[in-house]
Amino acid sequence: MLDAFLQGAHQVFAFDTLIYMLIGSVAGIVAAAIPGFTVTMAIILTLPLTFAMEPLQGISVMLSVYVGGYTGGLISAALLGIPGTPSSVATTFDAFPMARKGEPGRALSLGVWASFFGTLISTVVLIVAAPPLAVVAVRLGPWEYFSLIVFALTIVASLVGNSLIRGLIAGVIGLGIATIGPDPMMGRPRLTFDMDLLAPGLPFLVVLIGIFAISQLLGEVEIHGKKVNHALIPKSIDFKTWEVMREVLMRPVNLLRSSMVGVVIGALPGAGGSIANLLAYDQAKRSSKTPEAFGQGTADGVVASEAGNSATAGGGLIPLISLGIPGSAVDAILMASLMVHGVSVGPRLILDHADLVYGMFIALTVASFMMLVVCVASMRLFLRVTDIPKQFIVPTVMICCVIGAFALNNRVSDLYLLGAIGLVGYILKCLDYPLAPLVLGVILGPIAETNLRRALMSDGDWTVFLTRPISALLLAAAVLSVVFSIRSIWKSRKNENGKNSAPA
Amino acid sequence: MSAETENPAVVDAQASAATRARNELARLVSYLVFGGIAVFCAWRASSLPASRWEPLGAGSFPKLVFIVLAVLCLFAVLRSLVEIQRNGGMPEAVYAFGRWLRIRRVSFAIYGLLVVYLAVLPVLGFSLATFGFLLVTQLLIAGVTRKTVIQSIIAALVFSFGLNALFADVFNVFLPRGVLIAF
Repeated sequence: MLDAFLQGAHQVFAFDTLIYMLIGSVAGIVAAAIPGFTVTMAIILTLPLTFAMEPLQGISVMLSVYVGGYTGGLISAALLGIPGTPSSVATTFDAFPMARKGEPGRALSLGVWASFFGTLISTVVLIVAAPPLAVVAVRLGPWEYFSLIVFALTIVASLVGNSLIRGLIAGVIGLGIATIGPDPMMGRPRLTFDMDLLAPGLPFLVVLIGIFAISQLLGEVEIHGKKVNHALIPKSIDFKTWEVMREVLMRPVNLLRSSMVGVVIGALPGAGGSIANLLAYDQAKRSSKTPEAFGQGTADGVVASEAGNSATAGGGLIPLISLGIPGSAVDAILMASLMVHGVSVGPRLILDHADLVYGMFIALTVASFMMLVVCVASMRLFLRVTDIPKQFIVPTVMICCVIGAFALNNRVSDLYLLGAIGLVGYILKCLDYPLAPLVLGVILGPIAETNLRRALMSDGDWTVFLTRPISALLLAAAVLSVVFSIRSIWKSRKNENGKNSAPA
Repeated sequence: MSAETENPAVVDAQASAATRARNELARLVSYLVFGGIAVFCAWRASSLPASRWEPLGAGSFPKLVFIVLAVLCLFAVLRSLVEIQRNGGMPEAVYAFGRWLRIRRVSFAIYGLLVVYLAVLPVLGFSLATFGFLLVTQLLIAGVTRKTVIQSIIAALVFSFGLNALFADVFNVFLPRGVLIAF
């Protein structure tokens, strides 16, 4: 075992491997910072470049792109209010208000440190608990998955903002959007109205960019009696990296809980960072003594979201290494990369290629340190974005959104969808609909439908959802979650009414 | 949202009855539109044939989703009507709607430009279409002076032709080429 560990370490710490990993880390961060460019796309672009490398060298480079990518999404989320990737949606809730309050440096630093610790925690869990966790993850059937998604949908109650009814409408609109296009089981076209534009369905990323980015950018140029062409964040920039590190470490429970949410969601095949960040945020809000501070720029929200999404990196590798089952699209590409190098992935991977597996653990750790160094070193550069007048930033980011939406499938029709969804998103924003539940609905809708139909195909009895213990437990958690949310909303309204009616 | 951007919730709490009625009227229209679309989609989904292989066919899930949406919208419409009545009724709301549009005139103008840009993109190609879009949008936001014109031309050149070259040469991602001109 020690031999295998040393062999792996020897390959990862080779000078050329470290240089390639550093380049990969920068590439991952930059790619993820552009709205529409996902970690998956960055990894796909990296894959052909690794063919000529040794297996461990190639996989180390891809892991550094992976780790960098999960963090890069926070840059545009914090500075522009636009999630760079789906896994940084929840980061916008608190990091952006914090930046707007004049603390963009703190917002970025909090996210970077939370990502760093989240990745490290997930690596430790990966090393210690990979086999047993993978066995549990794989034993879950469609019943448990459906119940898990029902539980995840209860997050909507945390994200509704000022109006429960508009939050619910937004969430259900998201579910409805996800039903357009080919049905996920049989491929039958649904609600396409014989339009070629709608035939492939609405790509999730196009919806994400349209709803969050285009609406945010259009909102930036509204005129409320003042000049429109100033910087997005005009205040001075504070930049206290080490203080912020302490701030993150002062939240051990939030950090650990969010990381564990990321690990578990990452280990479930089909789920990923896009769900993990929202679920971790929701759990942090529910267990906070000051839930009303969430959404106003609280550090807890940024830590939860970033630790949650980054921890899926280690979590996703658990079923891949233990059983040869990829936890997400990115893990599938990592698996393909190993197969290209002649390494068969499966339960025997750790026995036959122990040096490679230990090397992957080491590479993941090294990649997280590299991400930290790159982010801290380049943060001042990123913060310059906040000085740029809207005249430049709004149209340029809009063009980046157009490129991101086009590059997804190389389809011009996706751009027309982007335009239409952008307008819908802007109008919804103007009318005070919360946008996060809508995106949550789009993410979870297809997973919910697929698992519900798969479960009923194998057994048409609906009671099975309640008789299988894990499924029943998840449904019970969902019911409790809704009850607590309604109670919390009711209590906060009562408090507000009490304050309003109190004599001055 | 920016400090200057109107937060409807805050506005609702502080604003006059007319403003609250105006916001509520706009929301009422949205509930009616979403409700109408939901009913139509539920009807279309129910016309999808049942599956021979599974208890739930392709139409069951969308039908369920859109029925729930229609019910939610109906509930929201009723609440909205009560709210409008409480804040002075329709005439006040219609009067205030013009101001709502005026505040957002630059946003809607830029959206219009975006639509034109996306329409001409396959014809003119990425570089030319993007150059035009960036130039006009920047001048719309910053105003036309000698300084802003020069700045805008430079920025538009860099982010149209420059970005195209970057994506094609470095990332091997080829952005749309024009039918008339292959840029």
